[in-house]
Amino acid sequence: MPGHDARTLRRPGIYLQYIKGLVMSSTFDQVATIIAETCDIPRDTITPESHAIDDLGIDSLDFLDIAFAIDKAFGIKLPLEKWTQEVNDGKATTEQYFVLKNLCARIDELVAAKTASA
Amino acid sequence: MQLEYFQLIDRILDLNMDEKKITVEAQVPQHSTIFEGHFPGHPIMPGVLLIESMAQTSGWLLIALMKFERMPFLAAVKEAKMRGFVTPGELLTVEAGIVHEGSGYAITEAKIRVDGKLRCNATITFSLIPPPNPEFRQYMDAVAKRIDFPLQAFPS
Repeated sequence: MPGHDARTLRRPGIYLQYIKGLVMSSTFDQVATIIAETCDIPRDTITPESHAIDDLGIDSLDFLDIAFAIDKAFGIKLPLEKWTQEVNDGKATTEQYFVLKNLCARIDELVAAKTASA
Repeated sequence: MQLEYFQLIDRILDLNMDEKKITVEAQVPQHSTIFEGHFPGHPIMPGVLLIESMAQTSGWLLIALMKFERMPFLAAVKEAKMRGFVTPGELLTVEAGIVHEGSGYAITEAKIRVDGKLRCNATITFSLIPPPNPEFRQYMDAVAKRIDFPLQAFPS
């Protein structure tokens, strides 16, 4: 975070970027913590670029535990059936849903959609 | 109960779709080959069968909630506690409720009571999958009739 100096204050865009970064990292931090605790994976090996299946070796059963923890933590319902169908039909890649930065973006979208409809 | 056929619940006593809860009863048989080995001179219901009866009870709740469009398959059992022996001839009351309905999975909490006293409980996760083949519904209908499931509310 840049210091609270006059130069930063003159460029409010930096603040917006910073706030956006905070929100994103907060989702990632929560998800990474959930994965680390659920699957006994060292937290420091989990990065936004990690693929939950290919890199972290999480299987479908462990992913159910993760999905439950995410559903609960964010008050959403990860549409796992829809995603699986899309991947099976070749309409999406696993990277779109299971690389953690993408998973976090999906979570943020679902949270935003829920907030908007509330 | 017919242990050898894995029929571990006898009758649905209550299926409450609003509260998403189910109560069933199950009469432990006086005699079964299982008791000959588990254990000689000290017959008790195997814990895995008690877990299965909680899973079957939960399963019928999920089938009702999903209107037979998904079949629940046992995926994980957590916090399973066998709090006291269950012996031949006892009448079990098995209750289950929903903890979480996810997409393609669900989690239930189930309890077995005898004379109102808690004997076992577990938290159970199910994968919810479309029925494996068209004939499956016929098989499920047959089981549903045997256990007094309100089939009239769920036309096939």
